[in-house]
Amino acid sequence: MNAIALRRTVTEALAGVVPVLCILVPWYILSAGHFVPPALLPSPVDVFVRFVRLLGDPAFLHNVGVTLFRLFAGFGIAVVLGVAIGILAVGNRVVGAVVKPLVRVLAPLPKIALYPALVLTLGFDHSSKVALVVADALFPILLATYQGAASVDPKLVWSARAAGTSPTRCLFTVVLMAALPSILTGARIGLVISCIVVFLAEMIMSTDGLGQMLVKAGRTFQTVDMFVPIIAISVLGLALNGLFNLLSARLLIGFSTRS
Amino acid sequence: MSRALWLPGLPPLLACIGLLVVWDVFTRAFAIEGLPPPLEALRQLPGILTDPEALLNIAASLKRMAIGFVLAVAFAMPIGLWMGRSRLIAAAFNPLFMVIYPVPKAALMPIIMLWLGVGEASKILVIFLGVSLPVVYHSFQGARTVEEKMLWSAAAMGVGPAGRMLRIVLPATLPEIMVGCRTGLVLALITMVTSEMIARQTGIGNIFFTALDMAQYNDVYAMIIIIGVLGFVCDFAFEAVRRWLVSWADSPHTIAVGSA
Repeated sequence: MNAIALRRTVTEALAGVVPVLCILVPWYILSAGHFVPPALLPSPVDVFVRFVRLLGDPAFLHNVGVTLFRLFAGFGIAVVLGVAIGILAVGNRVVGAVVKPLVRVLAPLPKIALYPALVLTLGFDHSSKVALVVADALFPILLATYQGAASVDPKLVWSARAAGTSPTRCLFTVVLMAALPSILTGARIGLVISCIVVFLAEMIMSTDGLGQMLVKAGRTFQTVDMFVPIIAISVLGLALNGLFNLLSARLLIGFSTRS
Repeated sequence: MSRALWLPGLPPLLACIGLLVVWDVFTRAFAIEGLPPPLEALRQLPGILTDPEALLNIAASLKRMAIGFVLAVAFAMPIGLWMGRSRLIAAAFNPLFMVIYPVPKAALMPIIMLWLGVGEASKILVIFLGVSLPVVYHSFQGARTVEEKMLWSAAAMGVGPAGRMLRIVLPATLPEIMVGCRTGLVLALITMVTSEMIARQTGIGNIFFTALDMAQYNDVYAMIIIIGVLGFVCDFAFEAVRRWLVSWADSPHTIAVGSA
């Protein structure tokens, strides 16, 4: 039984490599066989070597740092705002009546369209990018919090109320905790969205950051340097996703593993 | 009064008016340069919407978006369904999608432009990439949870694998696929605007940034309103289609959330 399970895991891991190889091998053959000029498609080996070499370059690390700072600032604000508004919208009928139609109007709006307005009002620096990340990451977190909090078992709240907890305290000690799995699912979506949005904002208008590296390399046709920021953001996203999974596994100890 | 409040469409309308009022109060209170009062922006709307060149740009953008969206659904849905029904296929494609997921699709624009030029093809390809992921994901999730007994019954009655896929898995997964398509539609709009912001040539993003470069701030805000309304109308229209197609399933009550 165990051997079968092991073999299955190995087969599945191997199967996962196949599509990645299906992209990497033709890429390598096309560039190594000089079927395509390297100015259009550099060899994957060159890109990888360049990526590893840049990891020791202070200018590159500075750009990564700037991007990470904007990402975390925006994501942090979005989590605080989203959870607070989501919980309050469930706990208070007036807040709920105001928030629901607002979310319905604002959630499908392409937030990137607000970026020029944010640049005009908040300036060229960090704040406009952070504000865009907040605008984009807020809604998945808010909606997940709202849906999670709205479906909390009412018996939990009744018991806490019967034990003498005030309604406001109930909201934060019972509802918030019971909605945690749903909130974390929303936050994970928000995290990936933050990754994407911060990069795009830097591509459209910025003086530093990973996105700007890509645009700058594109203007001078440094094709190898164009691939490096894309790989960097992919690695960053995977790493953040992994870290987040570890964190949420730790936070969700004691919850039944529904999904 | 209370019944009038729950007319469909009225609360969102009130929300829009509320937003405009907040915007107006904000401009009066702070008088920031670069933030015109909403009336000034709204006054630009008829001018933009009757200008044939602007309309052609908007139509070109919408055409690209529609082509990219349809191609992506046609491509991603079968892959998602197949992944949902076969563990091996799921294990094969999952890592690839995991790697692609955090990459902003519009960021591939400069590279794709090198290969395909600045024309239609590269923008459609970027929209296609952006829409594919959520459609694959939701078809996969939906197909995974199809009731096994239905498949066994069909197999016992002699329906072949292709027939089972087409006549059982596809209809059973349709509500979930629709959720994916809705996210995909919002993403198509976002990717379209973003790709045009990065490769300015034609389209909505182009009008937008030309106005910004010329410091016609009223036009910038008018374009934001147009894009916002476009997003809302697309979402509303899709919701109507979805309700007609899968009226038999419980509505999932989700609001589309988009990202690039």
